[in-house]
Parts: sequence; C-alpha cells; structure tokens
Amino acid sequence: MSDAPNAAVEVRGLTKRYLGVQALRGVDLSVAPGEIYGLVGANGAGKSTLIRILAGVIHPDGGEILVDGQPVTIDGPLQASALGLSFIHQELSLIPRFSAIQNIMLGLPKASRFGIVQGKALYETAREAADRVGIDFPLTVPVETRSVAERWLVAIARALVRKARLVAMDEPTASLSIAESQRLFKIVRDLAQAGTSVIYVTHRLDEILQLCSRVTVLKDGAVVTTMSREGASREVLVRAIVGQEPVIPQSAGTSSRPGERPVVLRVTELRRPPAVQGVSFELFEGEVLGIAGLVGSGRSETARLLFGADGTVGGSMELDGQPYAPSSTSAAVRRGFALVPEERRSQGLFLDKTTGFNLNITSLSALRFSAALPLISPARSRKRAVEIIKSLGVTPSSPDVPVRAMSGGNQQKVVMGKWLRRPVRVLVLDEPTRGVDVGARAEIHRIIRQLADDGRGVIVISSEFEELLGCDRVIVLSEGRVVGVLPGPGVTEGAILKLCYAGPAETSLKPTIASA
Amino acid sequence: MTVPLGSASPQGRTGTPVGKRALVLVGRYGTLAGLLCMAVLFSILSKVFLSGENLVEVLNEVSLSAIIAGGVTLALVVGEFDLSVGYTGSFAGVLVAGFIANQHVSVPIAFLLALAIGPIVGVINGLIVTKTGVNALIATLGTGTIIVGLNFGYTSGSQIAFGLPQDFLDISGGSVLLGIPNDIVIMVVVLAILWVLLNHTELGLQMQAVGGNREAASLAGIRVDRVKIAAFVVAGLCAALTGILLASRIGSGQSTAADGYLLDAYAAVFLGSAVLRDGEFHIVGTFVGVLTVGVAFNGLALVGAPTFYQYLFKGGLLVVAMALGTVARKYAKR
Repeated sequence: MSDAPNAAVEVRGLTKRYLGVQALRGVDLSVAPGEIYGLVGANGAGKSTLIRILAGVIHPDGGEILVDGQPVTIDGPLQASALGLSFIHQELSLIPRFSAIQNIMLGLPKASRFGIVQGKALYETAREAADRVGIDFPLTVPVETRSVAERWLVAIARALVRKARLVAMDEPTASLSIAESQRLFKIVRDLAQAGTSVIYVTHRLDEILQLCSRVTVLKDGAVVTTMSREGASREVLVRAIVGQEPVIPQSAGTSSRPGERPVVLRVTELRRPPAVQGVSFELFEGEVLGIAGLVGSGRSETARLLFGADGTVGGSMELDGQPYAPSSTSAAVRRGFALVPEERRSQGLFLDKTTGFNLNITSLSALRFSAALPLISPARSRKRAVEIIKSLGVTPSSPDVPVRAMSGGNQQKVVMGKWLRRPVRVLVLDEPTRGVDVGARAEIHRIIRQLADDGRGVIVISSEFEELLGCDRVIVLSEGRVVGVLPGPGVTEGAILKLCYAGPAETSLKPTIASA
Repeated sequence: MTVPLGSASPQGRTGTPVGKRALVLVGRYGTLAGLLCMAVLFSILSKVFLSGENLVEVLNEVSLSAIIAGGVTLALVVGEFDLSVGYTGSFAGVLVAGFIANQHVSVPIAFLLALAIGPIVGVINGLIVTKTGVNALIATLGTGTIIVGLNFGYTSGSQIAFGLPQDFLDISGGSVLLGIPNDIVIMVVVLAILWVLLNHTELGLQMQAVGGNREAASLAGIRVDRVKIAAFVVAGLCAALTGILLASRIGSGQSTAADGYLLDAYAAVFLGSAVLRDGEFHIVGTFVGVLTVGVAFNGLALVGAPTFYQYLFKGGLLVVAMALGTVARKYAKR
C-alpha cells in the first residue's frame, strides 16, 4: 500500500500482546517520506503500542518493520534514534532538573574539542530549535519549573535537533493553547516540507483533517480503515473509531438557575501574582461550573490556590459559609475538597494496586467491621468497590485487577469513583477527559453530572472548550482575572474563545456573576 | 480495550519475552523453591536437621530477626529505609538490663521503659524525614549513630550482666504455652499483629497508599507525614522489643548485641518482597525471607561449615535478594 517505491517507515503484520491484552493484531502501515500521517483510535486501540514498538521501548511478537525498504529490528531506544526515528510521547520523557538546553541536546553527539563540550555551539543549536517552536523562556532554567505546555515545546525542539527521518507525536496539542497549537501545526508542516515524515497521533480529529494527507483508524489493535484526507470527514472518522453512531455528550439537562441554590464555595478577589490577579466566583450546590482559559490564563494556578497547594497573597474563600483557607492539599481534602488531577497516573492512582484499593482508599473509616474497632472489613470493601465499579461501568469489572493494566478512560473512572460516595463538597476535575476515547468521554460527562446532582459543587477545568459545553455556567479566565461568565445555554466554543482573546483590557474588570 | 485479566494474579501478563517472564517467576517462587531445596539438601547432609527439636530451634533462632524485620517491612512499605533499628535494639537491651541491675526497677516496668525507646526514636526519625525532607537513609544512619553514642555513654562500654533476676531471663528463655519457647510465641503474635495492621486497618492501607504513590495519597486526604512517622514508630518498637528479648536471651546488656540484626532484617525483607508478589513488601514474605536465612544458617552450622561462610552467605543473599526484588518490581510494571 506504499505510495512511494520506498516508504520512509513501513510496518507489516505487526502483532503484540501487552499487559494481558492483545494490543496489536496484525497492523500494516506505510508512511511516505515527507508525509504527515494521522493515526487515530479509541484509547486501547493500539496507537501507543505501535509507537512504543517503533521507539524500541517494547518489542513486537510478530511482523516486520522496514525503514527505507530495509527490514530492521529495533531493540532499544538508541537503535530507534540511530535509524532516524524520533518520538514525543504522551507522557514527556524530559529530565525535570535539567535545563531546556540539556534536555534538547541530551544524548546527541556533543560538539566538542578535545573532549570538552563546546557550550556555545551547543547553545546555538538548541536556540535555533527553540526559536522554531517558539520557546520564549530562558533555556537555562530547569524544565521542572516550566508549565506542561512549555515542556511540550522543549520535547518538540528535542526532536527537531535530531533531524529525524520520522517524528512520531502522541497527542501533541493536549496541553497546548490554541496559539501554541497553531504554531505546532506550522512546525509540523515545515518538518514535512523538509522531507521528514510525521506520524501524528491524536484524539482531536479536526487536527487530523487539517494536517494529515492520510489517516489510519485503529480499533482493538487492528486497522479499521486507511483513508486520504479527501475521503475523510469528522463523521466518517468518529464512526470508524467508535464502530457505531457517536454518542453525543449530554448537555446540562437540569435547570440552570443556580441562584436558587445554596452557595457551596464563594471565592473573592483571590490573588497570587503574577498568575492570579484577582479571581472571584461563586459555586452553587448541584452545579457544574466550567473554568475556561488559555494556557497562561491562571487556570491551573487558581486550582492550586483552591487546594492550598500554594498560599494566597490576597482575597478570601468561604466554604458553606465558613471561612476557608487550606494550609495544605490534604487539609483541603479533609474540608471536603476533592481533585481529579490533570496528571492522572502520577497524581490520581496507585498504579500497582487493585481497583478496589484505589476506590476504597478515601473511605476506609466507613469500611470498618464496627465503629469501635479500627479493623477494615474485606467483605464490605469488596462490596463497596463492586457497587462503584458497576455504577460507573468500569472494565475490567473485577475489583482485583491492578489499575496499571487498564485503559485511560477506565483509569479516569476509578479516579472519579473514589469520590463518589464521599461527603465531598467541591469536586474539581482538571482535564477530565484528556487521553480518553470518544465513547468513555460521554460516560465521564454523565458521571460528572451525577456527582453534581448528589448535591456537590463541581468545577471542570479544561483546555478543550468542547468539553465545557455541558456545564451549567462557564467562567472564562484571562491574564489571571475572570473576564466573563457564560450561562449554560449561552456557552459555545466561539463565545468562550471570544472572551479568552478579548482579555481583561477589553472587558469589564468587575465580572458579573450571571444567573439565568 | 482492556480484556479482563481473569483473576487477581498478574500471571496473565504475557508479552514480556520468555527470559524476562522466567525472571519474574524466579522472583515470585524462587525464594520458596530455594528454601525447599535447602531443606532437602540439609536433611540429606544432616540427620538432625528435620528433627522436631531442630525445627523448633530454627524458629527460635529466627524469632528475633523476624520481629525486627517485621518492623522494617512497614518502614519500607511507606518507602523509607530505617537503618537505626539495630542500634535501637542494642540500646533497648542495654537499658532494660541497666534499669533492672543498676536502678533496681521491677522487671515489667524496666521492660516497658526500655520498650519506649523504640517509639521515641521512631518519632524522631519520622519527624526528621518528613519535616526536613532529609533522605531517610542518611537521617536514620545519623540517629542510629547518636544512639550508639548514648548507648556507650550509659554503659561506658562494659556489659551489664550481674543482678539480672530469673524473671527477666525467663522472658526469652521460658515457655508459657505448650512448651513452645516464648520467643517463638512472641514472634507469631507480633507478625500476626503487623499483618493485620498492614492489611486490615486504616493505617496499614494508608501506609500502602503512601508507599505506592505519595502524591495520590496526599490528594486522597491522607496525612502522609503522620503515616510515615507511624511506620517509623512501629519499626522502632519492633527493634526495641528485639533488643530486650535478646538481652533476656543472652542474660546481659551488651552495647552492640543487636547491631547485626540490621543486615539480617534487610536481607529477609528484600528477599521476602519478591515472594508471591512482584517486589511489594509484605509480612508473609518477610517471614519467608527470615526463615530462608535461618534455615541456611542452621544448616551451615549443622554440616560444620566455618563461620566465615555465614558472612559470605549473608552478604551474597542480601545482594541476590535486592536484585530479585528490584527485577520483580521492574518487570511487573511492563
């Protein structure tokens, strides 16, 4: 199926069993030189597995890989690199304490004289790559001090300096703002123009349609279809990915008249410059409140203040009418706050533990044999876990499976499930459907609504504005301030975007809390 | 999509090459197999080995390391090393003997006072590690050395052997249950308590959570620092108990008596972490680990191997145990 006599990279009949799952069942794929090739599919469809095989991180059980028409075996990342294959993984493999330069140049043959690294040459190479991706922060500070979006730029620069034959990108825009995404698209097109092939893996179908000349849809480890851009449309792709008619995410069905309900959380002029310049809002019981904003709007920083992860410089908060000033994250949690964190695997889960363990860890005191004895009842624990698993539709449905072996969507359900039966007052979900497939998204939105209906206040933070459309209200942040509040029916992606780009200068600095 | 794994056992995880899978199996069942092989070998080489008397002797020999290793297990479960346990044990042994012989305190009171040194050291270790963020290896090495200093200050380096009543010697040497030596009974009780604590109490499950993912534990509302301190307290308590029992067993308080248990404990715990689970620290594994070390020593002694073999064996075992545990952890995650 190759268009060119020699595809840059081709795989034939690739199979792989991985973590007890048949992750690939004979996948064929051929990427021409200078082609931008889209790879889509639900979570667990095999995209990441395929990429990891090309990267030499895992080894296929069967099939062959050809680079420039030559069969190769890729035993490890070094060999992948030597073959000109470069990778930007979903979970960035940067060294946190290293500077951007060190990360960009890591593992490359150093420009050296008599074994002494030439700092200047190194800097210039890195600088050039950094400029191409538009890094505007100093290259010498440790990347751990930068935001996730900025770290992505570093990772892309890292692939750039390697002058790779093929660059595979896994969900590259997941953490990028719209402006940054546009810049990335340009970078990707430049790369392709220069003859580098790109495998572009994403859930964002619009990007595929915008960028890729061809796209392959994977499902359950097999190729469903490969189509050229002309033949592809959003609807066609979604149908191929889901294998059925797409489920349209539920919009806010409940009455969006929050004014009649008690206020759960009142935030007044919260400040921690430079990121947060004065944020005020109210969260009502049973409400799903969206917080929108581009990267750098103070969105994540505001969430950190709510959780006591950082100290506030000014302003105040009230929880159920009581003053609320958490000294630490766990203090916030004990006051009835719960976070479904952005970095699910590293912050939300005990990966080596079972589903049951993960679901019950927040509610141990309710699982005693009797109130008097500090002993946990295994039967009660199991019963509770099984009930939550059922109500959330987690698969596999056994509470004894380690969550490491689950797909992203199911892992996210587990993270949410541990708060389901807790007396949580305010639940904050940061990027709740990142890396989650289309089908599971609808379910997660349903669970979010269910959590709110149980009398909690729910805050959804997302860089995918589409996700905020189901919220009762959406507040839009820009440059550390609330620049607008959109009531449920008025929430459209366009409206959010307009507010985001308008900035505080063009709108009233005193936001009005809208009620319908 | 994820296919149900069928059972709780992660055995269904094929996909790693055969050699690596074999390594995981070696890790999971290797220790048990090794223990069995040794038992068979020694029972061939020595007629005494399989006698009931000798088996009781083996259990009696391992009882003290089992108790101290049980405590160490909990510290490792929360992800922290405690290197002060051996010194804490020695100090508790010296204190109990000293209180009785020099200060003429009654045996039960002396026992409790000396036992209290364990939790005290544990709280200090825990506070240093959690509040300052000092690496636990270094912190506990420091506190351990301070304890050695206090120990020598108290004893001036000489042993406390006179004036210890039979009551005290009987703690370890006597038998209150069906003729089984007290040390074995105490070991069983302590390990049972630790097992329940770790697997069936809030604190124990929180310890597992903290060790599994500190960040997630904190976001789940767990007071991470308190849980870690609690683990150090348990480790200290077990260490002190071991030291007191040892003093009772050898009939004197000696400044360095329990120091050697440090290595025994870690060898056993790491060996045990690979047993049946993939590099997770757990009480049953620790007991198997302790038993393996004990059987090997007992057997080596029975067949008349010179003492230096014991050290070669112990050191080698520690390295192999660490390697097995680490490899098991690594491949369990792939």
